[in-house]
Amino acid sequence: MKPITANFRTKAAETLEDQQIQQSIEHVYTGFFKGRLNAAADTNNWEELRTKGKAIKDHTIANLDYYLSQLADNVEKNGGNVFFADDAEEARQHIIDIAHKRNIKTVIKSKSMVSEEMGLAEAMNKEGFETIETDLGEYIIQLANETPYHLIAPAVHKSRSDVAKLLDDNFSDSEPIPDATELTMMAREKLRGVFARADMSVTGANFAVAESGSIALVTNEGNGRMSTTVPRVHVAVMGLEKIVPSIQDLSTMLRILIRSATGQRISTYVTMVNGKRTVDEEEGPEEFHLVIMNNGRLKLLEDEHSREALNCIRCGACLNACPVYRKVGGHAYGWVYPGPIGAIVSPVLTGLKDANNLPNASSLCGACHDACPVKINIPRMLLELRYRTAEGSTDPQERTSSAKERGVWKAWRMGMMGRSRFDLGARLVATALRPFTRKGWLKKAPPPISGWTSTRDFPAVASKSLRSRLSNRLRRVK
Amino acid sequence: MADRDQFISKVTEALGRTSIIDPSLDHATAGFDSAETIRTNAQTAISDAREYSTQLADEVALAAETIGWKVHRASNAEDAGSIIAGICEEKSAKSVLRSSHKVLDDIVVDKAVTSTGANIETTAHDGKYGQSEIEESKAKAFSTDVGITGVDYAIAETGTVVLHPRSGLSRLVSLAPPTHIAVLCPGEVLASMDELFAMERNDFINGELSGSMNLISGPSKTADIEGTTVTGIHGPLEVHLVILGEE
Repeated sequence: MKPITANFRTKAAETLEDQQIQQSIEHVYTGFFKGRLNAAADTNNWEELRTKGKAIKDHTIANLDYYLSQLADNVEKNGGNVFFADDAEEARQHIIDIAHKRNIKTVIKSKSMVSEEMGLAEAMNKEGFETIETDLGEYIIQLANETPYHLIAPAVHKSRSDVAKLLDDNFSDSEPIPDATELTMMAREKLRGVFARADMSVTGANFAVAESGSIALVTNEGNGRMSTTVPRVHVAVMGLEKIVPSIQDLSTMLRILIRSATGQRISTYVTMVNGKRTVDEEEGPEEFHLVIMNNGRLKLLEDEHSREALNCIRCGACLNACPVYRKVGGHAYGWVYPGPIGAIVSPVLTGLKDANNLPNASSLCGACHDACPVKINIPRMLLELRYRTAEGSTDPQERTSSAKERGVWKAWRMGMMGRSRFDLGARLVATALRPFTRKGWLKKAPPPISGWTSTRDFPAVASKSLRSRLSNRLRRVK
Repeated sequence: MADRDQFISKVTEALGRTSIIDPSLDHATAGFDSAETIRTNAQTAISDAREYSTQLADEVALAAETIGWKVHRASNAEDAGSIIAGICEEKSAKSVLRSSHKVLDDIVVDKAVTSTGANIETTAHDGKYGQSEIEESKAKAFSTDVGITGVDYAIAETGTVVLHPRSGLSRLVSLAPPTHIAVLCPGEVLASMDELFAMERNDFINGELSGSMNLISGPSKTADIEGTTVTGIHGPLEVHLVILGEE
């Protein structure tokens, strides 16, 4: 998927105006956000689990080379194939090559954000393989020819009538809108047929276990199970950070992932596979491939300020907690990962130059940090990225603040350095703004601060400052 | 193609090192329990499951019910058989597929199902399946009305049934048919996921880790349309948990 992070402002403004989407994305708050709070309250050692989850991820990422090597050895020992891809294109091409070599006709895809990075479904369809998303949300998104809106609820912005039109070409607005159950059953019918004829699957991996070469998949719908059962070829794709060292770590990680994602104690299905089917099984793939992708992640790893972002287990809790995401929606962020985690990952993975608006799309309220099951300090990283766009980056392409902006701040700093300078500055600003003030309000400020009043009004600057009024009064009292 | 060694050495470099350091002496994570501790953990999990079986059966029943299992308490084998026959009748099942779990023989499930007029088959094979037999097995599972299995374990914390696919327990028997019935015996319920993964790790250390594992917690569901939870998308629409009492 090509990043379009530079469009943040226009896309966000569009979403803010769209009443239907504003109503639909309420669910991330009423459903997921509250669900997570309830699940955390219901778990008596919740904070302990978060601490443990963070320790597991910190340790794994700090020894990533060791665990990647161990994982690859064990997948091969179990009879699977491992492919290391430097970027999305290499990964995509490898999967297409497998499909050609094995004479594949129909590919079923489970939800995987890494495959979104590759734009895999689209590419495979173009290549002539019938490639169908099987997660209901992703299926809806594929029919709409859009990208996912949320890490775990890709179609959260779609209304029932949107879905009805996508599932049934003949659906007209005059008909009563089917309820969610009817729509789900329509999709079930369509996708059952696809499962029956699929000969290859592509899934993600919620976790890959280094010591055993297993992968764990978490789904509610059962498409993850179908994908690891029905087709003769199974390809799992993962970012290089999705590792845990030991099988026992899954106990902690599954608990915090699922509770943080949907508020459930457990998802309907957790599936663990160690590769292809064993010799005495009736079904299961005859071939297993694991594709481990970098695609910019080493840039996160090598920088101590951003390394922590690799702890992310893609639960979406920071999106649900974010007051900005809940208004501007998932598409504004312009790449695979929206919300607070996207605002720190996209700038590093796709370039800070175009994504320079993302770190600013935050009130720094810290709700994402509180919500994160592995305690990623997202606000700290947002500040670091803001610093780089302002003046901290050695790469001139990344330093996107204008000379004018820097000049304004330099003047501001000088003005703040002494009492008399400050008083003089305050008087000058008050005088300069007076011609723009109407009936006690400043509604349209002149450049260079016109942006501040484009969406909000300021109360007029008082004719006398608090300080001068106080000192006058004190003099009178004396 | 990215060469594996090259790829991993780039990771090492990004970590600011020149060579891989073996972290196995670092005890920061649960993964590095000694083999002895792991064995003890697994043994404790098993003995606790037996010792507290009555209490754990009650707990799993409660947790299962809240996530959408239809829970049935059977006082004896005969009772379990008639519960299963009742479900098959209600579903007007014509074809039933079952696993080779011993408990299903004990409750004479074949007789119970046949009495309703349905046809029942056991999944199993001799280890010589080719792709055509596999296609046949898949087609059968997709056209079956009810799938019946035992459980390998259950988890009280979450209301979960654990199955390890193998000969006699196909992957699809609990997935493809619109109705799944799982029969649980006393002593099979573990307290939490911790106990399950302790046992899995012990199996791994002993070289006995099974090829795959499914944790099943209620009927297949989705909330992808307007956040409304709907039961039954790709897996079973209805799941029953039959809990056998102690005799």
